[in-house]
Formats: sequence, C-alpha cells, structure tokens
Amino acid sequence: MAALTPAARQAGVTPGMRRAGAAAIAPGVELLPRQAQAEADALQGAALALLQYTPEIALADGDTVLLNVGASLMFFRGPRALSRRVAATLRALDLRVSLGMAPTATGAWLLARRAGRGVPRRTLKLPTLARRLDALPLSLLPQAQGRRNWLDDIGCHTLAHLRALPRAGLQRRSAPDLLQALDAAYGQTPELYRWLEPPNQFSRRIELMDYMEHTDAVLAVAGRLAEQLGGWLTARQLAVRRVVLSMDHERGRHARPPTELEVALAQPIWQASQLLHLLREKLNHFTLEAPVIAVTLHAPDTVEQPAASTTLFPEPGGTAADHARLLDLLVARLGRDRVRHARPTPDHRPEAANAWTDALAAPERPAPLPPLLDRPFWLLEIPQPLKLSGHRPHYGGQALRLKRGPERIESGWWDPALTVRDYFVAEDAAGARYWIYRERDAEDARWFLHGLYA
Amino acid sequence: MQSPERIHPALWRATQLAKGAARTLPTGHAALSAELPDNGWPLGSLVELLTPHPGIGEIRLLRPALAQLETRRPIALVQPPHVPHIASWMSWRLDPRQLLWVAPEKPVDALWASEQILKNASCGALICWLPHVRPESLRRLHLAAQASDLLFIAVRPSRAAQSATPAALRLALAPAPGGLSVHILKRRGPVCDTPLYVGLEPGALIPSSPRHAPLDRRIPALPAAGRHTPALAA
Repeated sequence: MAALTPAARQAGVTPGMRRAGAAAIAPGVELLPRQAQAEADALQGAALALLQYTPEIALADGDTVLLNVGASLMFFRGPRALSRRVAATLRALDLRVSLGMAPTATGAWLLARRAGRGVPRRTLKLPTLARRLDALPLSLLPQAQGRRNWLDDIGCHTLAHLRALPRAGLQRRSAPDLLQALDAAYGQTPELYRWLEPPNQFSRRIELMDYMEHTDAVLAVAGRLAEQLGGWLTARQLAVRRVVLSMDHERGRHARPPTELEVALAQPIWQASQLLHLLREKLNHFTLEAPVIAVTLHAPDTVEQPAASTTLFPEPGGTAADHARLLDLLVARLGRDRVRHARPTPDHRPEAANAWTDALAAPERPAPLPPLLDRPFWLLEIPQPLKLSGHRPHYGGQALRLKRGPERIESGWWDPALTVRDYFVAEDAAGARYWIYRERDAEDARWFLHGLYA
Repeated sequence: MQSPERIHPALWRATQLAKGAARTLPTGHAALSAELPDNGWPLGSLVELLTPHPGIGEIRLLRPALAQLETRRPIALVQPPHVPHIASWMSWRLDPRQLLWVAPEKPVDALWASEQILKNASCGALICWLPHVRPESLRRLHLAAQASDLLFIAVRPSRAAQSATPAALRLALAPAPGGLSVHILKRRGPVCDTPLYVGLEPGALIPSSPRHAPLDRRIPALPAAGRHTPALAA
C-alpha cells in the first residue's frame, strides 16, 4: 500500500501492508494499481505549471521538483509571497505538496522532507540552514541508508553527528556520494542540474479514473491544464490566440470521435486565470453528448507576447485590451452573433443600410457621413402593417397625423427586395412620433410602421 | 456650529438639492439640469427612466450627454426593444463605431452582461432595458456601478413606478408635443411636484394651450396657379 484515503485508514489499512493483508483486514476497500506513467505525467505537468515562476526547473527522484528562484524573489515580492503563490498553483493542480526553501537545493529538499507539522521549512541564510539541517535525522538522507546500521552503532543519529565525524574516515568507510550530498546540503560544494526544456508545442492530456458526465468536472480538469498552459506560455514568452479543448469519449462498442471545443480570442492572452474564466463560460452552455474519459488541451495558434506598455497616469476607461477582454467574455457566454458592432452599408433602403456584424470581426474604415437625415432611432425588424380608418393610419388605437414628408425611397431593383415607398413622420395624440411609409406599387395604398423616434 | 449640510458633501437637507457628492455629466437641457442634484446625470450610479412604451424620445433626451463622452469609450446598449438605427446615430453627428449592441436571448443573460460591463468599466455609458427585474438584481447592479464611472441608465416600463428602487435618480417620461414631459420621481433633493417640459425638437416652444396642435412646417401662402399676385399684398 503506497497511499490511502482517510476512510481506508479508518478501516484499518496501514501503508506498507501487502495486498493480501489489506484485503483480509478491510474487504470493502477498493485497491487500485499504481501507474508509474501517470505519476511521471503529473510531475511533468507540475513542472510545466511552475515554469511561470522561474525558467530553471529540474526534476529529481523521489517525486521532487527543484526550482531555482534566486532571481525571482524580488519580482514576486519576497519568499513568503512566492511560496504562497507556488502552493496555490499546485493546489489548483490537485497535488498535495510539502514546500521547502533554502539557499541550496539539497538543503531545501531535506527541509521539505522533514516530518512534522508547523516545523520551519523556509530559510534564506546559510548559517540558519546549517542550524536547521543539524537537527534532522539520518533517515532523511538516502545516501546514508546503506550504512545505517553501522552509523547507528557508533551513535550517529542526526546530520550534526555525521558532520562531526572525521572526513577521511567517513570517506573510506562509506560511498563517496554520502560526503558529496552532505557538502551540497550545507553549501560547501556547488550543485549542477540539468534544467527542464519546455516542449515546442503545447498539447497535454489528462486521463481520469472514472467517467465524467458533467461539464463542471470537465472544467475542474481543464483548470489544471490551463495552469500548465500558463506556465508554458510564460517560459516561452508567447501568448495564445486560439485554444482547443478536446474531450475523448470511451472506446469500444460506443466509440465516437473526440468532441472539440474551440475558444477563439480577440486579444492574445497568456494568463491561466483569464483563460479559465472564458472556459467556464463556454462550458456552462455546452452539453456533453457522451461520458468523457480524458481531456486534452492544445494551443495551436501562438504569437509573441506583446510588451506591456504602461502610461504614467492611468486613463479612465482602461486600455483597449480591457475592452477586448470584455468582448471576449460576453461572446463566450452569449454567443458570437449576439454582441454586435455597427457596420453601415451604403444603401438607400433603411433596413439594408442598418447592418450589424459581430463585435470580434476586424473593424473597417468608417463610412462617409450621410447628409443630415431625419431618421428614427428604433427601427422595427419587420414593418408592421397599420389599419386604416377614415383614410388615416391607426396605431395603438390612436389616429396618426402626418407631420413631415413624403420622402420617396425607391431602390433595390437588382434585388428581390424591391422597395418603392413614401416615408412620412407621423404623430399621435400624445405627441410620440413614428416613421411610417406607404407602399406605392399597390393598387390600394397600404401603410406600414417602420420606426419609432426615441 | 456649522450647518450640518456643510460637514460633508454626502449630506443634504431635505429642502435643498444635494451638491458635490458625485461626478456628473451635464444633461444639455437647461430646465432639466437645474432640477437635478449637481446639475447633471450622476456617473457611477443607477439612473432609472420609466417610459410607457419605447420610442417617445428617451434616447434624444440622453443625446447631449452621450455626445460629451470620449469617442474611444464605447456606449453599450443591452437588450434594446428594437433594432438601433445607425443612420439616426450618424445624423446626430456621433460615431457609429462607439455603439455596442448586446442582444441576449434570456433576461438573466442581460443582467449578467450588464454586470460584466459595469465591472469592466471600459465603456463610457451603459443603457439597458429591463422590462422585468427584481429589486435585488437592481441593487446588485447599482453596487457594481459604484466602482466605475460610467453613465448607467436602466429603462423600465412605467408601471415599475410603484415598486421601490435603489436608484439615486428616477425620472418618469411621457410623450408631449415637440418633446417630453419629465416627472422627477426620486432625487437627492426636495420632492418635485410638477412635471417639466423638455423640448427635443429644435425651435419647440412650451405649449401654451393644448387645443391648438402645433405644426412643424408652416405652409407658405402661395397663390393659386394662373393668378397674378397683387403687388400690394406681396
């Protein structure tokens, strides 16, 4: 048994038990085989996500990620703030972690492995580190495990005792890497690691133990992938313009191709939280057709990260990037065709000239201003026929009196939408104004309401 | 001892109009500005306009204020009752690139969109049409507006005058010949009994007698064809 849930622990299973023993003590407990590949994958994902804090990350054995944060301390406002942020990122990845910080890598690793709650695991100075390491038991140092019996016999239980032993003797009687590890921990020899190289393309996949049938669960997994994407983008100094979330369904008899959900952005972004915001809105309106077993995130379209330009006095109304973020958010929830910008086309017919396109399309040159026309602000989508009574059009039970007009609009002989109309401005008894027209090409004139003066 | 209203700009006596509490945008109509606290539309708080039906002149009332906003800040129209006409906007000499039309399918999406626009604060003005809205949603929008400095107008039907509102300013609009009759229902100042008349047509006069309906264009007295104009009468 390598890892247990609290319920299993209460049922009597302890770590280190064999399978048969656990099955005998607690038959109701579910035993899952350990998957080394998934663990390595999770570690790689954690390293990718942490690339946003420092470019120098190395993986070491014992499920360890080493980050060289010497250059990042000031940028992230101090060691405490940095450890809080790293802990938050790893919590977002659903990983339980113990964090140690020290001037040397081996020292930080030993402090992180230290047992106990609330013990100090962070130190910035070498003398303090030496003091903390002196108190640690020898069981934490894997290089000393080969000679534990002998060391116990001579009364050597902590690292302080180990350091006090004569070096030549220790070197002769044990493996050379024991002294190397000790020197590296106390900062007396330099340490060299091979730093991780971020891959050229980002495409990470997370497989789950069980089926997911609800988009909230997909969002939780997508959150982990978004954190990794954020780290990768920071390390390569890129920003992403299009992200594809692909969800795999089960194999076998009911196999179907994976469902793809694409998020296109007006402005390139590189922060995980913004991407997660948009994914949440998109997934809220998405229904899954079949249970999902794995989620993959691709970032096919990347550009250089734009340099942030700041002004001395922040202007009210933010920057254009703020507005683009607002448009992205609205489009993500409402749909692309519901957020519109004006795109007037030069046409005499009012309904054809009043064209609106979706807000994320590229803006065009502004059209030249028309001569001063008297047009209503509200245009009805479909002109409403008006009843005639006593040769006067009626709307809402009231007779309309013609005030201005007629304005003749004849256009569109090349289209099926031929319009021959005489437009008038009419007023009702209360004083509200309407834009009505009479069709000219019919025997009896029919009146329609086309606009309201707002 | 100072008079209490001078201690802080947020305090005002019930008989006086409040002054100095918030930034305002001049309305462009002198009679209306004189009746509003701080002589203009308050920025960063909810302003309610109650109309009996769309199309009585509510946008023309706001037009001088909207013309004063910077062109680079968009004006958002959320859930308007009909299609906005770009030619009308351009004939008022305003930039059509400023307009942002948000037309959600469901009313709850309209409330969400308004809240996001208020939180983002990159727009210059937000006009939303809310036919059915609960008071707690309005209160939430009012609170979200206070963190920003945009002109936030909510247009509601006239029957909403009976329910309470968290808005600082509430106006009931009714159509009148050549303009609007504005009844200030709620403001930070004394109760306004009589409705004001705000003229929206150029050259409109206060109607003195309701029996004679004014015409816009006076038909000139042209002589009938085939008759010489007498020299004396010309």
